[in-house]
Amino acid sequence: MMSLLPTLAEPRHFALWERALFVALAGASVYGFWQRFGPILSRVLDSKKDPGFRLFPAGKRVRQFVWEVLLQAKVIRERPLAGFAHALVFWAFCVFALVTLNHCAAIFGLAFLDPAGRVGRIYFAIAALFALACTVAIAGLFVRRFLIQPKWLGELSWESGLIALLIFTLMATYLAGFFVPAQANAVRALWWAHALTLLAFLPLIPHTKHLHLLLSPFSVFLSRGAFAQIPPLSGDEDFGLVTGRDLTRIVSLQAYSCVECGRCMEHCPANATGKELNPKEIILGLRGYLNEFGPKSEEPLLGKYASQQAAFECTTCGACEFQCPAGIEHVPILVGLRRGAVNTGAWNDAHGSKLFLALEKGSNALGLSTNERDRFIEKNALPLFDGTQEYCLWLGCMGAYDPRGREIVLALVRIMRHLRVTFGVLRKEKCSGDPVRRLGNDLLFQQLAESNLEALAQYRVKKIVAICPHCVRTIQEDWKVFGTPPEVEHHSEFLARHIEKLRVPPVPLLGPGKERIVFHDPCYLGRYRNVYDEPRQIAALAGKLVEAPRSRERSFCCGAGGGLAFLGEEKGDRVSHVRAAELAATGAGVIAAACPFCNTMFRDALAARGDGAPELMDIAQIAARGLSLEE
Amino acid sequence: MKIIVAIKQVPSRDAQVRIAPSGNWIDETDLEWAMNEPDAHALEEALQLKEKHDGEVVVVSAGPERVAATIREALAKGADGAIHILCDDLGARDALGVAKLLAAAIQPEDPDLVLTGLQSEDLGLGQTGVILAELLGLPHATLILHVEKIETGIKVKRELEEGWFQSIEMPLPALVTMQSGGNKLRYSTLMGIKRAKTKDLRTVTAVELGVDAAPVVTLEQISAPKKQKSTQILTGSPKEAATALVEKLKTEARVL
Amino acid sequence: MSLFLVLEESGGKISRLSWETLAAAQRLTSAEEIVAVVVGADTAALAAEAAAKPVGKVVRVEHPLLERYTADGYCAALHQLIKSRGPAQWVVFPHTYQVRDYAPALACRMGQVLIGDVTGIEGGAVFTRQLLQGRLNGSVRHHENGPCLVSVQAGAFRAGEDDAHANAEPAPIEVFTPTLDPAQIRTRPSDPYRESAQTVDLGSAQRIVSVGRGIKGQENLPLIEALAQALDAELAASRPICDSGWLPLERQVGSSGHTVAPRLYLAIGISGAIQHLVGMKGSECIVAINKDPDAPIFEVADYGIVGDLFEVVPALTEAVKMAK
Repeated sequence: MMSLLPTLAEPRHFALWERALFVALAGASVYGFWQRFGPILSRVLDSKKDPGFRLFPAGKRVRQFVWEVLLQAKVIRERPLAGFAHALVFWAFCVFALVTLNHCAAIFGLAFLDPAGRVGRIYFAIAALFALACTVAIAGLFVRRFLIQPKWLGELSWESGLIALLIFTLMATYLAGFFVPAQANAVRALWWAHALTLLAFLPLIPHTKHLHLLLSPFSVFLSRGAFAQIPPLSGDEDFGLVTGRDLTRIVSLQAYSCVECGRCMEHCPANATGKELNPKEIILGLRGYLNEFGPKSEEPLLGKYASQQAAFECTTCGACEFQCPAGIEHVPILVGLRRGAVNTGAWNDAHGSKLFLALEKGSNALGLSTNERDRFIEKNALPLFDGTQEYCLWLGCMGAYDPRGREIVLALVRIMRHLRVTFGVLRKEKCSGDPVRRLGNDLLFQQLAESNLEALAQYRVKKIVAICPHCVRTIQEDWKVFGTPPEVEHHSEFLARHIEKLRVPPVPLLGPGKERIVFHDPCYLGRYRNVYDEPRQIAALAGKLVEAPRSRERSFCCGAGGGLAFLGEEKGDRVSHVRAAELAATGAGVIAAACPFCNTMFRDALAARGDGAPELMDIAQIAARGLSLEE
Repeated sequence: MKIIVAIKQVPSRDAQVRIAPSGNWIDETDLEWAMNEPDAHALEEALQLKEKHDGEVVVVSAGPERVAATIREALAKGADGAIHILCDDLGARDALGVAKLLAAAIQPEDPDLVLTGLQSEDLGLGQTGVILAELLGLPHATLILHVEKIETGIKVKRELEEGWFQSIEMPLPALVTMQSGGNKLRYSTLMGIKRAKTKDLRTVTAVELGVDAAPVVTLEQISAPKKQKSTQILTGSPKEAATALVEKLKTEARVL
Repeated sequence: MSLFLVLEESGGKISRLSWETLAAAQRLTSAEEIVAVVVGADTAALAAEAAAKPVGKVVRVEHPLLERYTADGYCAALHQLIKSRGPAQWVVFPHTYQVRDYAPALACRMGQVLIGDVTGIEGGAVFTRQLLQGRLNGSVRHHENGPCLVSVQAGAFRAGEDDAHANAEPAPIEVFTPTLDPAQIRTRPSDPYRESAQTVDLGSAQRIVSVGRGIKGQENLPLIEALAQALDAELAASRPICDSGWLPLERQVGSSGHTVAPRLYLAIGISGAIQHLVGMKGSECIVAINKDPDAPIFEVADYGIVGDLFEVVPALTEAVKMAK
């Protein structure tokens, strides 16, 4: 069988001048590489250390590295065809590591893979297969970039073309080696062609986005450790990302790791509706800043390379971070830029100030009197939490003050009573702090978190169930900086656990033309919490589930997150309208939601569509329809 | 330009007020406190003037220990220094008594401009600023929305009834009482709070100021008004309901 | 011991609030003890008007420097008057912006403290005034030693009909000329002005009529405009109306529009979604007209009519016109 494998031809002997030439060229190549890479590396290392970063336990990091880098899982899953092509190129590079090493060693007579030997032949054959695959893949990717031109890849760049050409040449010169007789001069020529291509490639790496070859494996390995993880502030002078001096090593590393694939941009709801924000440009902007000003600069980050307006158009939906195959974590960066503007008072927005002032003086983000909440509780005879009940039912600002939010709460209350699960609502509740946390107001957030934690400890709350995924996320994750929050879950998780009891009596169909139900995954329940199936189980109680084109981890934001629900009119198309149109286009008669913000946003958007728009219901309302009227 | 802003800590707007057992004030246990809103606008105007014309903003507030929190809030928003007139019996003094306290603390500071809020959210007298001007011998203007520095002193925009306005010029030093809403309040920032820690906050007692006067007027008793807020649904035919509504708006709500 | 009643002018005549203040004064003392005071540079007509009312006498405090209101001018003039024509037991004012500007300073000069914005007289020297923005009432007592200065809230007392007095002899009129020096008047006020009429200023409107989806179509707006006109109110709308272009964006009330706090807010055909509520919850008096009895707007309204706005609004416009 061995003899069936073609043999790679290699020059047997190199002249002294060839060796000298190679050494000189290699030297120049390495010098060219280092001249560019050195400063980049030092900019990353000169950046501030990340407070709270823990390398160990490394198990999770290793697993993530294997999955995302070695197996290219994210790259393939989110853009299958192009992703697989890239994976082939990457795997080819991995396999070629030894080939390349051997190739360079050969000129000094130190080759360690014998093309005639058993190991050598097998290895070279495998490499050849990969080379072939790589050639096809790179050609395909070239066609995609230069002929099809998808818009999120941005403008055509000559460097992409050059790199493609170099890779193609590398593979071609390697493969050609199988078809050339061992003695011919062509073998030497091929060797030099391959070597020169390699030496030309090396210095190009740090000059182009192909820097990701070196950096993104590190980015993936050295990630913050959890999705949309906002780092703590450290010390009295830390206000977030204000100037270059605030850029940390992780941020700088990630800024240089961007491959400009545009997946973040493709899935960004702000970008999709004509806003200025483009997550890719935010990251590349940081890179531009570092290149021009460096990590010790006092130049504001929101200035030449990034705009304040763009930073405040983000809903923190996390689609960008979720999609990124290079390990870039966009959400902490955007929140960091916002912190820099808000914690220093540089952000001067009328609605934003109003929101902050409302929470400075009062208890809720809507600026309403707590009397409203008290009256709601009284009117509906909701029990107050006194330490004896199993659950504390957290109302949140929307559940306590918004008419739609209240309906969701009341539906959940009916269900909990039916299930004979004891619960109580807090006498006084302050906003969980989600909007101010995402907008970067650390002063207010600390005040709210500490005040709430104290109240919960005082009432000895052990378990919380809430209708709002934003509250759930903030309580479970963000409050951890200031204390130990009680267990908290979203009502979809609670209901799913009790689903058998909710099937009997069965939930009636919601009406003629309403047999099909489309569930909209809230950002803070889906991507942030990984809960996709539980709410679907509940929604499916009343009909047949259909899926929107963008669902589960690709769900398209309703537009309210990141504090934007409180910031007034948006520019361009309304995110909520775009999503509502997508949901309506599924032909479903009912849109099932699981977040009071999504509920409110879609209520308006569907009303604008007029009669004939699908009905909007929260999953709690769907489940409650099965209960008899007395309850 | 040295600007003094007199601020008052009042029960927060949202607070549930109950009458104290003594019957002559509200029960202050468990009450949440906040900066009086017109005073917050006065502070904002002072900060904007400082940012435009260079200078110093010092806040003055009289009251018990808890007032320090509101003073620190003012420092966090940008005031340069503060004077806390420690006084546990503020409620027993009338407007003249309180103004005398403030005057005694402010006089030695020799300010160019004194700003106060138009009135407080608890007592709502609207007098302390005017009396203070009289005691300090300063020209004054009330219900002011905006203060502008001009060569001969200041020019202020005053609100009149029914949508009219007036501008008034006066020399410095002067005193102005500020109406809410003339400027946009700034939010407290983390940076502001951190910086506030190093600012000058002086405490002086009422006794040290040597102010003591028997009140001319006293608040004797508090009671709840007879009508509580509830929705009155007017029934009948459209004509009947409309007539009843107009009657209510005229006589009960007195908005027509 | 007399009562000085300081009257104010509005549109060339004595203001309605001044007559309400007279009614309050009549509760404190007998008509002969009431000295009605008018202040200005040329007060003949005002004095004649006052003299026809049940008062003991009318004093015209006149001086060229009193042509424009200034705190310095009025304080000095009135202080001199009371010192020379006293002793006074009471000095009673209508509680206007102008009085708030000078009366506390005048009281201070007299070693007194004004009891301002009273809504009731409890007898003796005890008055009722509102605290905590109307949430509670307080009884305030004036202690002996000098005149008691009081200002009276608009609408707290009803101006008397005084028909019985119509044919009586007019009260005597005196002129009092205070000694005033231009250097004493430290403020220079301008003429009153209004802001540009072109721009819609919902923020300072005292009355607002706001329309929502219940109006169904742009062609029905004249119905609402007629009501707004009858009420002398500004027109506003909830977001869907502005989104549809039926009214300009600058008339939008709500979380993404204006926040308003007028004395009167009429919400017509508005359901009361939170985005709208946060924009108008601070209004003094909220009236809601909606055909859905469960509409959330009724939760925040002071008065409500559950009915078809196409019937209620015209009826209301009529009723308002008739009441004028």
